Amino acid sequence: MRKLLAATLGILSAVGGFVDIGDLVAAGQAGARFGMAHTWVLLLGVVAICAYAEMAGRIAAVTGRAVFDLVRERLGARMALINLVASYLVTVITLAAELGGVALALRLATGVPYLLWVPVAGIAVWLVLWRMRFPVMERVFGLAGLTLVVFAIALFWLPTDWAALGRSAVAPDDSGQGWGAYWFVAVALFASTVSPYEVFFFSSGGVEERWSADDLADARFSVLVGFPIGGFLALSLIATAAVVLHPAGLSVDSLDQVAHPVVLAFGAAGLAVAALAFFAVTFGAALETGLSAAYAAAQYFGWQWGKRVSPREAARFHTVLLVSVLLGVLMLLTTVDPVTLTEYMLIISAVALPLTYLPILVVANDRTYLGDRVNGRALNLLGAVLLLIILAASIVAVPLAIGTRMGQ
Amino acid sequence: MRIQVSQELLDRQLVDRDGRLVGKVDDVEFAFGADGVPYLRSLLSGPGALGQRVGGRLGRMLVLTAERFVTDRPLAPLRIPYALVERVDSAVWLRVSADELPASPVEQWLRRNLIDRIPGAGRASG
Repeated sequence: MRKLLAATLGILSAVGGFVDIGDLVAAGQAGARFGMAHTWVLLLGVVAICAYAEMAGRIAAVTGRAVFDLVRERLGARMALINLVASYLVTVITLAAELGGVALALRLATGVPYLLWVPVAGIAVWLVLWRMRFPVMERVFGLAGLTLVVFAIALFWLPTDWAALGRSAVAPDDSGQGWGAYWFVAVALFASTVSPYEVFFFSSGGVEERWSADDLADARFSVLVGFPIGGFLALSLIATAAVVLHPAGLSVDSLDQVAHPVVLAFGAAGLAVAALAFFAVTFGAALETGLSAAYAAAQYFGWQWGKRVSPREAARFHTVLLVSVLLGVLMLLTTVDPVTLTEYMLIISAVALPLTYLPILVVANDRTYLGDRVNGRALNLLGAVLLLIILAASIVAVPLAIGTRMGQ
Repeated sequence: MRIQVSQELLDRQLVDRDGRLVGKVDDVEFAFGADGVPYLRSLLSGPGALGQRVGGRLGRMLVLTAERFVTDRPLAPLRIPYALVERVDSAVWLRVSADELPASPVEQWLRRNLIDRIPGAGRASG
């Protein structure tokens, strides 16, 4: 029974770590503009995050060190510092987008303009990071995030043409929007699925919760169940948008439109649940991105980090945490539209993806750290193919963004 | 004991007797023994040592940023005699407690001037 409980909690944190503002925006846009035509991208993304999170979790459990703690030894001090600067910037921009998502969810629930909610969201996120216990934090937001399942339920409530939905999933077409836009959305959706902070957070969380080699099976289980559940929730976001928004020719430029199908199915109650779900996933992701930014810096420099020690014993870690949240709030107070910010964030993340995933593959093959727990041949083949796809996404991201004017 | 400095020591995490994180091995220092044979004298840790190894503009920026927090420049690195190393695996484990080593000036400055002023700084949240 205790084991079952532990497994459930692990899955919850994986689900919580998966869906965020990037998924809400990218999945909503994919569904509204192209129907189910991006289903394969989402599935590919889930496979990639499962494979690489498993490696990161195994590294953490066997060596007791987070992935980015080890990266510096393999990339060298200079390359790793450049990697750190780039990863930090991407993570802080993601944090800003998540804070914007929290503010938009609160606006959806209350009608009060989102800009007023931005400082509130920033302070709330920082307070939770300062005070709340780590496992509690993961579970509360993971559990609340599961309310996203309302989108899947709405799909059964609405007069969904399942056959047509299935057909558009297996035979993708560009819906008359142009293939450039199709691939632009594909790259954004892929980047939202394999966001780098998910693996930073997953491996650091493993170290923080003191995983050992005995916990490997549990860690693997929560990855292989939790991330696909997250993927299923994201898929239901695409599907509701495909059923409701796509035929009407609506596009998604705010969270209201993402919530629209649920409102159509369940009215005000649907709106309330959708707002809660949006709040939970963006708030949870804001916590994770904030922590990930500080983890990355602390693990590069070897500072004391984590929530097991008091903040005064990890002053540099907590300073970076505070500064990152502050930067996120300031970015939003320039009145940049949070959805637009999310779109740019996804493209920048796509460019930076190899910086996260290549080092994981390298360390996961290093016998000096992992002994005989290095990657097997099959996983290495899968990892290498996925890395090629990640590289391709990284290379085409900016040309696609410019060529299609951000997917117009 | 035979050890490859660049493969197994440089850039590795330093951990004290109680599992606290002390810093990274940012550089090492060799010296000549009485018999003229060079030996590994100490491990160096701190932004000053790291900045020199990183080199270039990036390295200088790193040192300048860290120097803003200290009064006595140039920034002296933390010197840990190699005799204090207990074992080396995925981290470098020390025989001593972090309290017996000089604390990082940047950590101290931020603790005193920022973190300690926020209520609840003394409690771990777990």
